[in-house]
Amino acid sequence: MDFFDPVLNGFGVVLDPQNLLYCLMGVVIGMLIGVLPGLGPAATIAILLPLTYGIDPVTAIIMLAGIFYGAQYGGTITSVLLRLPGEASSVVTVFDGYVLAKQGKAGTALGIAAIGSFIGGTVAIIGLTFLAPLVASFALDFGPPEYTALALVGILLVATISGGTKIKALIAAAVGLLLATVGRDVFTGAERFTFGNLSLADGIDFVPIAMGLFGIGEILYNLEERHRAVSAPAKVANVWPSRADLRKSSGAIGRGSVLGFFLGILPGGGATISSMVSYAVEKKRAKDPSRFGKGAVEGVAGPETANNAAATSSFIPLLTLGIPANATMAIIFGALLIHGITPGPQLISEDPELFWGVVNSMYIGNILLLILSIPLVGLFVKILRVRAAILAPITALITILGAYTIRNSMFDVLLVVLFGALGYLMKKFGFEPGPLVLAFVLGELLESNLRRSLLVLEGDVSGFLTRPISATLLVIFVLVAVGPMIKSALARRQQRDTTRVSADS
Amino acid sequence: MKASLTRRTLVATTAAAGVLALSACGGNVAGGSAESGEAFPSGPITLTVGQDAGGSTDRIARAIAEGMAEDLGVAVPVVNKAGANGALATKEVAAMEPDGQNLVLLNASLITITPLAVGEDEAVNLDNLDVIAGLSQDDYVLVASPESGFETLADIQESTGELNFGTTGVGTGSQLAQAVLFAQAEIDGTAVPFDSGSPALTAVMGDQVDVATIQLGEALPQIEAGTVTPIVTFAKERSEFLADVPTAIEEGYEVPVSQYRALAAPKGLSEDAKARLVESVETVQGTETYQEFNQQNILTPWEVSGEEVVEEWNALAEQYKALVEEYDISLSGE
Repeated sequence: MDFFDPVLNGFGVVLDPQNLLYCLMGVVIGMLIGVLPGLGPAATIAILLPLTYGIDPVTAIIMLAGIFYGAQYGGTITSVLLRLPGEASSVVTVFDGYVLAKQGKAGTALGIAAIGSFIGGTVAIIGLTFLAPLVASFALDFGPPEYTALALVGILLVATISGGTKIKALIAAAVGLLLATVGRDVFTGAERFTFGNLSLADGIDFVPIAMGLFGIGEILYNLEERHRAVSAPAKVANVWPSRADLRKSSGAIGRGSVLGFFLGILPGGGATISSMVSYAVEKKRAKDPSRFGKGAVEGVAGPETANNAAATSSFIPLLTLGIPANATMAIIFGALLIHGITPGPQLISEDPELFWGVVNSMYIGNILLLILSIPLVGLFVKILRVRAAILAPITALITILGAYTIRNSMFDVLLVVLFGALGYLMKKFGFEPGPLVLAFVLGELLESNLRRSLLVLEGDVSGFLTRPISATLLVIFVLVAVGPMIKSALARRQQRDTTRVSADS
Repeated sequence: MKASLTRRTLVATTAAAGVLALSACGGNVAGGSAESGEAFPSGPITLTVGQDAGGSTDRIARAIAEGMAEDLGVAVPVVNKAGANGALATKEVAAMEPDGQNLVLLNASLITITPLAVGEDEAVNLDNLDVIAGLSQDDYVLVASPESGFETLADIQESTGELNFGTTGVGTGSQLAQAVLFAQAEIDGTAVPFDSGSPALTAVMGDQVDVATIQLGEALPQIEAGTVTPIVTFAKERSEFLADVPTAIEEGYEVPVSQYRALAAPKGLSEDAKARLVESVETVQGTETYQEFNQQNILTPWEVSGEEVVEEWNALAEQYKALVEEYDISLSGE
């Protein structure tokens, strides 16, 4: 009973009307800023932080946390409707989500994403409630060699999850890896492809690349299409997913929850990789993998569940170890300090009311988001009825505004336009932007961790194999990489044998 | 967006045409801020920060901006323009009109340490800025993982195994402090750069590296929880927040490294505007809210005049340069 008392007291804290109100405010603000790419939860929380000085710390953190996971919900909307993934973890949602929207099934995609996000989020909170202290050390066991192996697996998945021709996916991924090298070298300070421009010193941000390639590229392409054939405005049918869709997605949601929960604990890249792994798993398990990229509901359900579960479990390192797992957590860390609370291993015992108040507010916040989603999905899908002549400029405006807000710099706006042109050309010549963007995100993770590993291991490569987690990941890498080749080689031999047998007879 | 473009073009023109463009550039509030003798401030004062929202530099900027807005009676919006350790934002503000309506929050490391790691043309020079006032000091602490068993500097010196030390990046105080300390104490080690303080601290907690140098505000919760062991701090004097831990100077090594922060404006500020800004900063520093903010963020007030900031930072830059040369340390690619 000792364990449950503080947990139940935590619910008492949340059900206080004032806390409920701030929780609602947080998730609504989060959802709105999630729709605007660029202005992420991190910047929003930093701006709103001074407003929370006057209120109770528990209430303040409940609201700030609400902004964070509310934004994850909001991000889905632009990914599905406008092909604008605001964060790396929602890039794979675009693959099938946008196709579904074009088929008139935007409601299905958004609905399933909302349900998946709710379940993923809730499963992760339950995990956070019961397993947090146990799994927290997982984040500490992940050193540079483990991240290197994880990034390697991720890059391999890029090839698996992309539709279209393998060779074109590889070319796009290679360009993405190359773009990841731009910027001042973090180990030596040497300039790499910066052309003496200080704006490039920190490399290129994810947002201009993703916004340009996906969003602007698509707009330009559609403009050209419209000149050739008059396309009817997208039909907006079935606002809510059907029973069959739900049945089809239930497995994906279940697997996405677990994947997201565990990978989300890892600071840096966990959420992105969890959404990729989820997509790859669903595609592998599907009876007909070719449906993916052409509007498979599971392709939205799995990754959206996973990235929401990951967002929730990224609170674990912060609340139990005092380590912020991402930029947003770093600001919440600062917020706790400002409110006179030290985040760290002692938080749960010294300040149980805060810990359980915040954790339990997430159950409520997720329910609020689900309730909000139902009418809003109906509203948002109507956007697609808007004529392209009006919708396209608005999309372009959101994109450019989003790029500008990252660093308040016109340079990023220029980049969006450049990548928009590239995205248009890629689409015209049959290249998918997905592999490029994902390889770009993982390239940085891979390079810096590989070099860091070699420093830590003093150049001894065998260290990758003697550490259990990195060794396991590398075995998985080899299996995934070599498995299909062996399989197809065997199949070919079998085929040859049968042909020979039939020839003999 | 369009307004910003126009503004930028005008700023460029102004550099050549002098006062001419001024009235058009200001444009935003009350029109003619150009005429001297007119009341300062003439409209909102923008405080640019060269770091992302949410970090300690940003929090300091927001705390001071909030107080100044109240004192000056105009809005003081904080604008984050991250890039190149803050060089991007600083150079941009330095090129603006010196009317006091644009300020920048400076990190000392950008002036004193970054030039040792990057090319000279990318370094920022204090000559292009009018420093208003010093704000606060953020100390660095060397922490060790519990598994390493290190509790004092002597433990590290006596250990025979290979030492890995985490830094918060190239050209940072964390890197310089450790490189100089270990060179003076004749400790062999490999620098492992991380992207910022948090991953470096995580690596020490998980024993991925043996030691790392982190800003005190970030490390203190872990020190108090006993998950990392403090070895030395690098400030000139012991920190009030960590009074039991010796400084590297007490241990006999010449490594005075702290992160100082100051407020600055483009060079050429009028006497009146500067005096008003200095007065405003001093008023904020006198408020209880601001003092509490420093306390909660583990910041030691460093409230000195602009002239002292320039003198101190230039002296530190000289000293670091001499140290790096004396011990043959390369901050880029060790």
